[in-house]
Amino acid sequence: MLWGSYSYSESITPYYGTTGNAAADNALRWSMGSILPEPPGLDINGVIYNYTINKDVDDQVDVHVQNENALGTGYIFRETDRWMPGSLGGTEINKVVPVVPGIPRAAWGDGSIEVEGNGSVSNPSVRYSYRVDPCFDPQFDPNCPGYKAPVVDVPTYEIDLTSLYDTQNVDYDRNLSAEERERLEDDDEDSKSEEELEEEEEKEKEERAMRLEKALAEADNSVMFAQALAQAQILAAANAVTNITSYYSTNIPGGTYKENVVLVDKELPNSKRGLRNGLAQQLLHEQMIDMQYNR
Amino acid sequence: MVKQQALGVVAMLFASTTFALAEDVPIQGTVQSRCVIQTDTAGVFGNPNAYTLTTTPADGGAPAVIRFDVTLADAYRAEITAPTEFSSSPSLPDVVTWTGNTEVSTVSDATGMGAYETNKIEQGMKDIYDLTATGSTWFKTSSTATMGGNKAFPGGNYTALVTAECIAK
Repeated sequence: MLWGSYSYSESITPYYGTTGNAAADNALRWSMGSILPEPPGLDINGVIYNYTINKDVDDQVDVHVQNENALGTGYIFRETDRWMPGSLGGTEINKVVPVVPGIPRAAWGDGSIEVEGNGSVSNPSVRYSYRVDPCFDPQFDPNCPGYKAPVVDVPTYEIDLTSLYDTQNVDYDRNLSAEERERLEDDDEDSKSEEELEEEEEKEKEERAMRLEKALAEADNSVMFAQALAQAQILAAANAVTNITSYYSTNIPGGTYKENVVLVDKELPNSKRGLRNGLAQQLLHEQMIDMQYNR
Repeated sequence: MVKQQALGVVAMLFASTTFALAEDVPIQGTVQSRCVIQTDTAGVFGNPNAYTLTTTPADGGAPAVIRFDVTLADAYRAEITAPTEFSSSPSLPDVVTWTGNTEVSTVSDATGMGAYETNKIEQGMKDIYDLTATGSTWFKTSSTATMGGNKAFPGGNYTALVTAECIAK
């Protein structure tokens, strides 16, 4: 229980971290894209660097540790170390420079160490300390300040209800009150002649008959479908209760089934009757062939 | 212990409000040190030959590194003395000769501290630095002990101490 509570509060607590060495392998220029971690809400709050200055004791050397302003000109961060005459080469500098928070991550452009004067730097190390606020986006967690419970945006449309009904459809009449129906009929009848009214009445009768026919056909189809479904269910139920266990338990008696037909004679002579019959057929066959060649 | 201290205070108040004709009122204050000394790296003696102990890295040793943190500029000086004797060692067969040196290793302010090493004062084994800038300075002290008469150091553990002081000017 305690662990759950602890980790839950941890999830929205800002945390701190430090990047790796941006100037690894004596690189004096680096891209921030590969240095800074990914999470949104990251805010750099300090730069920690060290290097060894190489110079003659009488020289003045300026060393700039800097980051370009990616959203404009100049530098978003620049710290200068002025090594005056009298300072010895081989001295190391170890420095922590705080950064005003709130600089957008996108503003941190390429970084570099620039040396002005007769000197150089060796073994550089540049690290960025940062703070990550998980509630940078309040929707990250319900416990974040400013969190708003997501609401599904249901679009609303204005609907013309009259357009939903076809006034020529019989269903439309069903939705009318008795008064409305009477008023509509009166309006129609007043504006039409008798012939037109008769014609419409006949047409209406025909359409009514057609609709009835269609309705009965639909009903018939439904009944047939229901019957077919019921039959299928009955068959399925009947098959389900069929006991086929006996088929599984039937054994075929094993052993050897030997040939029991024995041929007594060693030679089978041709049938004489067959010989005569075959000869007659042969003669007939030859006659037919001869007839083809008009012999 | 805490309880005894509380009783003592009650008795004193009772006595002072009832009988005393004069009283001493204490004024207390605490001064936070503005010069802090820390051991950054303890040194190690290497033993390149039988009669030498040295902190030279090439001989297997490591110099001691001492860090001075100063928050008030131009108010202190650092006095660092390389060892001149063993604080603990086996019984030695002869006199030991000592050499040592302290130098600025790392600074946190190039302009303010860059010349510390150039401006230091050497008094024998003691090196004196004027801490004119605020920030951190790392001093590196090396030491070499040589047994007299080319005699071997007896087997055992040897410890020598570097003395680092922060003295108000």
